[in-house]
Amino acid sequence: MKTKFGVALVIMLLVSLMATSCAPQAVETETPVVTEAPATEAPAAETEAPATEEATYPPAPEFIDVGSSISLTGNFGSLGNLILPGYQIAIEHINADGGVFVKEYNKKIPLRLTYYDDESDPTKAVTKMETLFSEHELTAYLGGGGSSMHAASIPIAEKNKVPYLGISFALYKIHQQGYKYLFSPFPKSPNQTEDVFKILNEAIPEGERPTKVAVFAYNDDWGKEWGDLVKLRAPEYGYEIVVYEENPVGVNDWTAAIQKAKAAGADMLLTLPVFPDGSGMFKTMAELGWTPKFSLVIRAPEGVNWGESLGKIGDYVTIFPGWHYGAKFEGVDKLNARYEELYGRPADLLTGPAYACVQILAQAIEKAGTLDRDVIRDTIAAGEFDTVIGPVTFNPDGTGNVLDPLIQWQNGKMELVWPAEHATAPLIYPAPAFEDR
Amino acid sequence: MLQPLVQNIVYGILIGALYGLAAVGLSLVFGVSKFLNVSHGELLMLGGYASFWIFKLLKVDPFVSIPLTIIFLLLIGFILYRLIFSRLIKLEVEKKIQNSLLVGFGLSTILQNIALRLWTADDRSITTAYSGLSFELAGIRFPAVRLISLGIAIVALISLQIFLKKTFTGKAIRATVEDWQSASLMGINIHQVYLLAFMLGCAMAGVAGTLVSICYSIDPSMGLNWTLKSMVVMVLGGLGSMVGTFVGGIILGVTESATAFFIGGNYRLIAGLLLFLIILIFRPQGLFGTKEGDK
Amino acid sequence: MKKNQTLLIAFIFVIVLAVIPLFIKKDNLLTYLCMILLYISLASSWNILGGYTGQVSLGHSAFFGLGALGTRLLWFAGWNVILAMLVGGIIAIVFALLIGSPAFKLRGAYFTIGTLALGQILFATVGNIFPQISSLPVQDLQSYTLVSRYYLFLAIALLTVLVAYLIANSRLGLGMMAVREQEDAAESLGVNAFRHKLTALVISAFLAGLAGGAFAFFQIGYYPQYPFSPVWTLDSTMMAYIGGTGTILGPIIGAIFFVVLKEVLSLNLAEFHPTVFGILFILVVLFLPGGFMGFWKRIRAKQNKKRESAAELSHP
Repeated sequence: MKTKFGVALVIMLLVSLMATSCAPQAVETETPVVTEAPATEAPAAETEAPATEEATYPPAPEFIDVGSSISLTGNFGSLGNLILPGYQIAIEHINADGGVFVKEYNKKIPLRLTYYDDESDPTKAVTKMETLFSEHELTAYLGGGGSSMHAASIPIAEKNKVPYLGISFALYKIHQQGYKYLFSPFPKSPNQTEDVFKILNEAIPEGERPTKVAVFAYNDDWGKEWGDLVKLRAPEYGYEIVVYEENPVGVNDWTAAIQKAKAAGADMLLTLPVFPDGSGMFKTMAELGWTPKFSLVIRAPEGVNWGESLGKIGDYVTIFPGWHYGAKFEGVDKLNARYEELYGRPADLLTGPAYACVQILAQAIEKAGTLDRDVIRDTIAAGEFDTVIGPVTFNPDGTGNVLDPLIQWQNGKMELVWPAEHATAPLIYPAPAFEDR
Repeated sequence: MLQPLVQNIVYGILIGALYGLAAVGLSLVFGVSKFLNVSHGELLMLGGYASFWIFKLLKVDPFVSIPLTIIFLLLIGFILYRLIFSRLIKLEVEKKIQNSLLVGFGLSTILQNIALRLWTADDRSITTAYSGLSFELAGIRFPAVRLISLGIAIVALISLQIFLKKTFTGKAIRATVEDWQSASLMGINIHQVYLLAFMLGCAMAGVAGTLVSICYSIDPSMGLNWTLKSMVVMVLGGLGSMVGTFVGGIILGVTESATAFFIGGNYRLIAGLLLFLIILIFRPQGLFGTKEGDK
Repeated sequence: MKKNQTLLIAFIFVIVLAVIPLFIKKDNLLTYLCMILLYISLASSWNILGGYTGQVSLGHSAFFGLGALGTRLLWFAGWNVILAMLVGGIIAIVFALLIGSPAFKLRGAYFTIGTLALGQILFATVGNIFPQISSLPVQDLQSYTLVSRYYLFLAIALLTVLVAYLIANSRLGLGMMAVREQEDAAESLGVNAFRHKLTALVISAFLAGLAGGAFAFFQIGYYPQYPFSPVWTLDSTMMAYIGGTGTILGPIIGAIFFVVLKEVLSLNLAEFHPTVFGILFILVVLFLPGGFMGFWKRIRAKQNKKRESAAELSHP
C-alpha cells in the first residue's frame, strides 16, 4: 500500500511538472481579462428611464474603482499612514462634486478606493495587488510606500496593464526598466542630488558655503544610486566629498562614520536614513560634538514625529519631501482644512503628493472620456495636470516633472525655504552648534 | 589613531550594555521555566512606550520614571503569565520551548497591532534637555545619557543578582534554574517561582525598552530585531547565567563597533554573528554556561 | 482497507489540485494557492529536520534564500528554470554540508540559536553583495503566467510531501526519530546520530532550496536579500508546530490554516486583523497542544478506547 501511495504521488508529480513546462502556451489564450462591464443593479434601473438622450449611452458603472496595496503596519507603516489620508481626502473632495465626468457614459461617476494592508511584506503586496485586480474592475492602482513595496507591486500593475500612480520613492532605477504603466509625481534621486548643490550655490555667497561633504549612505540600491549621483554632482558644483560611509538599513549606530566625518573636518552632511537610524545619528552627532553647517537628511525627518522626538537636536536639518503644506497652489488650502479637521494639523508632507495622484487620475479620466485603461495611460503620459503640488507632466520613463521644494526644520516646525516664491521662512545657515541650541 | 579607536570602543561598550540588558530578561525566563518568549522584543517596546508617554504627557524624566515602567511591566508580566504562559508549565521541556515559541509568536502580533492602533506607526524617541550632552576626558567623549543608561543597566543587573542570591525567593528561583524537579521536591512552590521569574523578566525588558527609547528610537515593529539580538546574546553568554548574558552583550557591542570602525558598517552585523558562531564552536555551551545549561 | 482509503483521499485531493487552474480563472485565488503550496513545501521540509529528527532549526530561510538566489541568477542568465532550480537546490545542499558538522556540535537551544545566527549572516551578506532589486524584464511580463507557477509550486509541494512520507516510513526515518527521542540511547543502539542528522539537514535544505527556486520564478520583483529574511523561517516553523510536527499532514494543515486564516482576517477586518489572528493562534496552541494532529490523535485514541471497552462489554 505504501508503495502504491508513493507511485501515485510520483505520477502526479511528473504530470504537474509537465504541465509546468507546457502551461504558458496552453493557458495564454484562455487567460480571461475581465472585459465586460460589471453587472450592477443601479444602471439597469437607469436604462429603463425614459430619457431619450441617455439611451444612446451605455449603462455606466456605479463607481470608478481604484485599488491600493499599502503598508499600514510593519516597517513602512509610518509612510502608508501618511499617504492613505491623501488618497482618501482627494476622493472625498472629488466625490463631493458627484465624481468624475466620463464622456463615454455622459455621467459623473464617483471614485471608490479599495485598499488592503500589505503589512510591509512584498509577497503579501503581490497577493493584494492580484486580489484588487480580480475582485474589482480597476481603473488604476495607487501605490503604497517604500521602494521594496513598489518594486513588488509595480510589475503586477504592468502585467495587468493597469496605470499605477505611486509616490514616496525616489529610486530612479525602477523607472529605467521600461515600465509603461508606472507614473510617479515625486522628485527622484537625480533631482535631489543636483538640486541640493544648486540651491546652496544660489542661496549662500561663495566663501561662506560648506565645501567638505560627508555622505552617510546605505548599501541598498537607492542608497548606492543616490551616493553615486552625489559623487558625480559634488565636484561639478565645487564641493569635495571627504567622507563616504555606508551601512545596511536598520543599523542605527553611526558612531564610526561620525567620528570619521569630524576628524576630516566635514562641514556638510548628505544622508538618507530611516527614522531609527536618523534619530540615533543626530543624537550621536550631538554627543560627539560634530555639527555640520548644512545637512540634507532625506526620509527620517519627513514626519512630524521628528520634531516631537528630537527637539532641538533635530532642528536645522533640511529635506526634499516633494511637497509642503505651505506651497502656494490651488487646492492646498482645502486639503489643509480637511486634514486639520481630521488630524489636528496641516497636511503632512507625503499627503500632498498622494492627493495629487488622485487629482492626476481624475483629470486624466475626464480628458480621456473613457474608463479604458490604455487610453487613460496614454492620457496621463501626454497630459499636463494641475494639482496641489503644482503643474505636473510626465517623462517617457514615468518620472514626473514636479517642483522639488527644500524644507528645513526650524524651532520644531517644518518651513518651506526654497524656492523663494513659495517660502514660508528663509533658510537658516549655518546651523548653530548643538551645544549652543 | 588611538584616540578614535578608544572613543569607538567606549561606544561599543555602551551599546553592548544595552544588548546585554535586553537579553537578561529573556535569559532569566528561559533559565527558570524554559519558555523561549519570542515576544520579548515587544515587551521591550511596551517599556519604551511607557517611558515615552510618561515623559511626553506628565513631563517626567525617563530615568526618574523607570520605577513606574517597572511596575507597569511587572503587571503586564503578571497578566500574561496568568492568562497564557501558566497553561504551558506542565508540558515536558521540549514541548514547552515549542509551545512558548508559538504563544510568543501570537502574542507579538497582538502587541504590535495594539501598539500600532494606540500610538500609530510613527517612530518615537525621547530627547531630554541634557540629551546630546557629554563630557570629555583625555580627548574621549562620554555621552551623559548613555553613561546613565550604563549605570542603570548595571544597577538593574546587580539588584537582580542580589535578589537571586540573598533572598529566599531568589534562591528558590536559582534552584529551579538548576533542577526544577529537585526544587519542587524540596517544597519550593514552582508556580510562584515561574510567575515571579516571568514578571522579573518582563521588568528587565521594560528597563531595556526605556533605555532604547532614550538612546535610539521605538516603534511598534521594533520587537523582532530585539528578540533576535537578545536570543543571540543569551546563547553567547551561556544559558542560565545572567552575568554571562550581560558580558556577552558587551562583547557583541564592542565587536560590532570595532568592525564598523576598521572595516565598514556593512560588516558589523556579520562580524558580530561570526564571532558568536566561532565562540560556539569552541564552547558549545556559551561563554559562561555549564554543560547542563541546556537541559 | 484503511490504507486504501487514505490513498484514495490523497489521490482525489491531488487530482483536484491538478485541475483547479482549469476552473479558477481569478489570479488572486491562484496566487493564494501558490502561497499555500509554497508554505506547505517550506513547513514540510522544515519538519524533516525539526519534526522528525528533533533538530529545531531557525536557519531554514538560509536554504530557501540560497535556492532562490541561485535559481534567479541562472534563470536570468538564460537557463531553463527547472535546471536552474536544481542547481539552486544543490547550492543549498552544499551549504548544508558545510555547516553540518560544526552546527551539530551544538545541542538544544544552542543549535536553534546558532542556526538563527547563520541565517542572519547570510541575510546580511546577500544584502551587501546584491543590493539591487531583481526584476523580471518588462518584455517578459506579457508571457508571465500564474498557471505555470502554480504547477511548479504544486510539483514541489508534492515532491516534498512524498519525500517526507517515504522517509517517515523507512529505516532512515526510524533512525531519525530515535535520535529525536533520545540521542545517546540511539547511539548506543548503533544509530549514527550525526549521520542521521546530517542526512535530514541535507534533504531538508534541498527541498527548501527547490521551494526558493519556485519563489524566484514566481515573484516578479524583489530584493535578493528578501528570501533570506528570518520571517520565512518563523512562519514555516509556526505552521509546522501548529499543524503538528513529526507528522506528514501536520505541516500541510498548518500551512493552510495559517495562510487562509491570515488572508480571511486581513481582507475582512481592516484594523485589528493581526490581533484577532494572534488571539486565535494562541487559543489553538493552548487548547490543542501538539497541534492539530496531536489533537486528532488524542481523539482517535479516545475513540479506540471507547470502542475497546464497548467491545469488552459486549463480550464479557
